[in-house]
Amino acid sequence: MRCSSPRVHRVTSRSPTLTLNPRPFVDHIPALHRRTKELEKERLLPGKILSFTTIRHPPNGFGQEPYTVALIERIDGSRVLAQLTREGKPHAIGAEVIPHLRRIRSMQNGLHVNDLKYEVVKTADIPLFTVHAYVLALTGPCGVGKTTITRSLLSLFSSVAAQVPVYTTRKSKRTDIDPYITVTEEKFETMVKHGEIIAHTVLRDRDDYRAGYRKEDIQAIWKQAKLPIVTTDLRLLEGLSKALGRETILSCGLLPPGTSRRRMLSTLLHRLRSRGQHTEKQIEAQLKVAEADLQAYSDHKHLFDHLLVNDQLETCVESIKELVTPNGRV
Amino acid sequence: MRETVYVLGGGQTRFGELWEASLADLIREAVDRAIENTEILPTDIDAVVIGNMLGGETAGQAHLGTLVSGCLPHHPPALRVEAACASGGLAVHTACALLESDKAETILVVGAEKLTDVPGETVTSALMHAADAEKDSPSGLTFPGIFALTATAYMHAYGISRENLSLVSACSHRAAVSNPFAQFRRELPPEAVSKSPLVADPLRLLDCSPISDGAAAIILSTKRESPVRIAASQLASERLSLSDRPSLTSFGSTRSAFDRALAEASWQRNDIDCIELHDCFSTATLIHLEDLGYCEEGEAIRLYCQKDTDSNGSLPVNPSGGLKACGHPIGATGVKQILDCYKQLTGQAPNQVRNAIRALAHNVGGVGATCVVHLLESIA
Repeated sequence: MRCSSPRVHRVTSRSPTLTLNPRPFVDHIPALHRRTKELEKERLLPGKILSFTTIRHPPNGFGQEPYTVALIERIDGSRVLAQLTREGKPHAIGAEVIPHLRRIRSMQNGLHVNDLKYEVVKTADIPLFTVHAYVLALTGPCGVGKTTITRSLLSLFSSVAAQVPVYTTRKSKRTDIDPYITVTEEKFETMVKHGEIIAHTVLRDRDDYRAGYRKEDIQAIWKQAKLPIVTTDLRLLEGLSKALGRETILSCGLLPPGTSRRRMLSTLLHRLRSRGQHTEKQIEAQLKVAEADLQAYSDHKHLFDHLLVNDQLETCVESIKELVTPNGRV
Repeated sequence: MRETVYVLGGGQTRFGELWEASLADLIREAVDRAIENTEILPTDIDAVVIGNMLGGETAGQAHLGTLVSGCLPHHPPALRVEAACASGGLAVHTACALLESDKAETILVVGAEKLTDVPGETVTSALMHAADAEKDSPSGLTFPGIFALTATAYMHAYGISRENLSLVSACSHRAAVSNPFAQFRRELPPEAVSKSPLVADPLRLLDCSPISDGAAAIILSTKRESPVRIAASQLASERLSLSDRPSLTSFGSTRSAFDRALAEASWQRNDIDCIELHDCFSTATLIHLEDLGYCEEGEAIRLYCQKDTDSNGSLPVNPSGGLKACGHPIGATGVKQILDCYKQLTGQAPNQVRNAIRALAHNVGGVGATCVVHLLESIA
């Protein structure tokens, strides 16, 4: 299929003299040819049905027979309105579809217009709009105690909670964010592109590295009827709430103790120094990030359900326990 | 509002399949009635605004501003505005802007549409001009089809039953029985709605507002006083194509226009006594009520189950019969809504809401792509 813009339809006809063929034009301009190829690839992506309807009274040129039109979200996140093919599995919200080039309508002068129609290849296994369970997200600046709290929660609820594994491109190994899986930069990029990794961010340790969560891992934990726990930063949290729905996330922001922002930052500085893992320069950089994180609590209020001060570990863990099990049941 | 804009009153034709009348006939009739009812001199009018969507496509007539102007002896300056189904509301909004900026002191606002002179498929295709021609139309969608996509998503998300959804159209029909200008003046049992033929599932024929002819005209003035004023006039937009929207079950334009209108008038939501709502499709009605903030998302159907939306209920919606039962001559609807609010606030409405002092007119174009909100207040 060739076209010079995403919405110029390829037109074919019974009479060869009427065939419109933009090929020679496209072939002479390499950049345009490449872009056309890209668009082609983009348009031929499979996707999922977000909504559908069957048109009983078609407009001029679309024939007399009813047909189904669906709003489809392609795996790259773009959306398209298109007809479904008559063959294929029954359609439903969440069903998976693949594109085919088919005749879509006939013009009065006898020209036939082709466009993409989608075939349902897999019926929906998980209804798109149903919230199954939720994710506990802990957000906070470096040094606030996310890891310690997570560990403590896991030991308290080992039978009902599990930590979601982190996919990262970091080379050097450190033990405090277990479990994590190291992949190459290219592999990470492919996973993001294919929508496997639903939220990702760039973190800074000794070097910059990328880290993200896979949807599959979260769903696997749900399937075991457990509560997935993630430690996030603002970008991961935004990514997760976009991919899973904001209502799916019980989001806790963690604050270091202190009555003012300056006091909070000095607590963090003290904690980071006492860890002895970083140079003074790295600590300085982390503090800058921490300051931005604290600002985020007021700038992105909608992303947080609760803000907790990590003054004493036990009290903080106890308050999270109460949020997770409001009736005191574990 | 920078100036006090008074609604002097207005007039309208009956809405329906008016095969004996042309677009110009309809406009003349509405203008004559408006002038007669408001008892002003035609020469007091110093500008004309007309809202119309498909004059060229379905009536072979564009250049409507000058056509209306020609109905007046001194042919004042005139202009036509278009925002699909919100063309009427946009005409009122434009007139308010002209009055506030002192370009005119008394304006005749007309909304008119003539759809039934051409075959059904032609109207269906022409109505799709309100959607995105590059992203929506090539798939063979119709306008009911686009709203059906939002309806499928809405019913799936909130689990609305067919029986309950049918209460929405039944409520509009109940209200229209006493309205002499309505297209359908008979009660409709909810079962009839559930059994009507499918247009674009889940929407059935009686979930949809009809294709109608009609015209309405009102006169707004900053010079002449009246017991009703416009307290706020706000316009908002949303992405044109449904495929670019963040949500299928909410229209951002309604939220933004209504919030700004409440701020402009310094009113609270609960100050409003009756609503003329853009009930083009039954599920859209529910979405609009949620976007206006009168209930939580997915909860609007409860208002209909409890009959709160009846004219004697706690939140009277469309005591005129709305688009569903009065008919929906595209460009005329937004102007007719203001006229119906005026009648409620002056105690002249056939289906009167008791002690109505503040009214809301909510007019939508496309699938929530444009929204015009007007707030009216009785200052008698």
